[in-house]
Amino acid sequence: MVNMIEVSDLSIELGEFDLESINLCVKEGEYFCILGPTGSGKTILLESIAGIYKPDLGSILINNHDVTDLLPKDRNISVVYQDFMLFPNMNIRENIGFGLKYKGFDKSEIAEKVERTAEQLGIAHLLDRHPSTLSGGEKQRTAIARAIITEPDLLLLDEPLSALDSGTKSRLRQELLRIHHLKKTTTIHVTHSFEEAFALADRIAIMYGGKIHQIGTPDEVFRKPNSAFVANFVGVENLFHGNSVIRGNLSEIWANGLTIISSTLKSGDVSVSIRPEDILISKDPIDSSAQNSFSGVLTEISRMKSTVNLVIDTGIPFRAVLTKRAYDDMGLYVGSWVYLTFKASATHII
Amino acid sequence: MQRNGFKYANLFLMLLLTLFIFTLIYEIITHTDPASLITNIISSEIQFAIRLSLLTSLISTFMCILIAIPVSYSLARYDFHGKALINTLLDLPMALPPIVAGLGLLLIFGTTSVGNFLADAGLKFVFTVPGIIMAQFAVNISLMLRIMRSTFEGINPRYEHVAQTLGCTPFQAFIRTTLPLSKNGMIAGSVITWSRGMGEFGAVLMLAGATRMKTETLPIALYLNMSSGELDLAIAAATILILISGITLYLFERKGGVAKLY
Repeated sequence: MVNMIEVSDLSIELGEFDLESINLCVKEGEYFCILGPTGSGKTILLESIAGIYKPDLGSILINNHDVTDLLPKDRNISVVYQDFMLFPNMNIRENIGFGLKYKGFDKSEIAEKVERTAEQLGIAHLLDRHPSTLSGGEKQRTAIARAIITEPDLLLLDEPLSALDSGTKSRLRQELLRIHHLKKTTTIHVTHSFEEAFALADRIAIMYGGKIHQIGTPDEVFRKPNSAFVANFVGVENLFHGNSVIRGNLSEIWANGLTIISSTLKSGDVSVSIRPEDILISKDPIDSSAQNSFSGVLTEISRMKSTVNLVIDTGIPFRAVLTKRAYDDMGLYVGSWVYLTFKASATHII
Repeated sequence: MQRNGFKYANLFLMLLLTLFIFTLIYEIITHTDPASLITNIISSEIQFAIRLSLLTSLISTFMCILIAIPVSYSLARYDFHGKALINTLLDLPMALPPIVAGLGLLLIFGTTSVGNFLADAGLKFVFTVPGIIMAQFAVNISLMLRIMRSTFEGINPRYEHVAQTLGCTPFQAFIRTTLPLSKNGMIAGSVITWSRGMGEFGAVLMLAGATRMKTETLPIALYLNMSSGELDLAIAAATILILISGITLYLFERKGGVAKLY
């Protein structure tokens, strides 16, 4: 697929927030998430793509046209913000139709398009109301309608679900997916929620401190974080520092008295991550081809909805997870001596 | 008992102050009987002063709005070097005694190269009606700037961002979103600027002088007639000014207490 948008070496200094040499490409029709904590510069990046801020360095190409110096109105990009930004001095009909006036549509065309788009989003009954009388979900549907009615080449969503309660949030998340399947509009969605990015994105960019740290599919980013920051941010819980030596086709990492084997080849000071669900828990040592086997005292048990999270102290604390059923069958308690087993391929060296 | 003592002492002082303010106004309004008050108000001199005050204050208020919108927008939205200094300078006229501002104006527009140049172009400010407008403008612009600045600061710039992505130029985006959203601040600012323009004395006296039936605004009429012992005419002018204060206060309360900020 072709790159719909190409951001190259984009740098901008805005006092509080800076962007440092941002490179990213989004393909035609792709749903792309930018994931990062508050203050990481995500919104500035989005607004730079929209043309609100002029970059100090770098370029932005949309469909192979350089738009770096174009005004926002000439880029055919729409933005939806977290706090909706519906114009309070206009009703819902005027809000949704706002962009069409400037794109040269006549009154009857605007009226018809507004009706159709409002129907698609289930807000046709609200057209004569004012924004202040709407619920959060209705406001966000209106903001989305206003953004997509102009048929933009690129839709930018800035934390579009963050201001909503959890029920509305999951409904609107489905709605975003549905609209994306319907319209196939290339979308860049900024969020601080990994769950949201995981559920929606074709690909994810992890952003922190004004820089992009990793770009990949949700699974790649989740399973193979390329830095300690990314690992921490996406919620990998077993993250250790150690010194690695390559022996044959394996790495041996010396971490706080344990030797952990990894199939990733890298030497020197490294960070190691093992996903809790990749660790096998047993009451007795088990015979398997897995390279890593440790034992320790169960120090913490926390029951979740359908799983039980465990912390086992082997000299370094490991987090592991069991299904409720397995946990009940094993009859574990704080103080139990348990064995942990995991494969060399489950040990990611960062 | 001690708690009540504290309460009653406070309430007593409050009532005393209210009585003081009431008496102050009451004395002016009731000094002449209603019939002669009306006669004096419709006298040609006071009628002239009312018309001149209305005309000059409306023009100077309009000028304040026109200048304050772009200037306060710059202060609210842009970052630049020396912003703090410029801010302080622009606020200064508000703290400055009007008579000092008037002296400065007289020195600019008097027999200097600037003054001579403008006089040659037909714009004379010293001892003229345009001088009254200029004096009101110079004294009141700071207040208008402050009100408009905080109004613009209270409006999320993202309204304009959204409008721009939907096809507006930056100017159109401002006209369609931020400007209509600043309506209340603008009305509040205009009312207070207008009312202060009506009552401006010190700066007007310095630049435009106090010439009967020429640069005689309401406060100047009050001053001239007090000096010449025409107390009844002075009271007529004062009564009109009290009326204007009342109207201003009423409009302010209706616009959601923007006045409380200033």
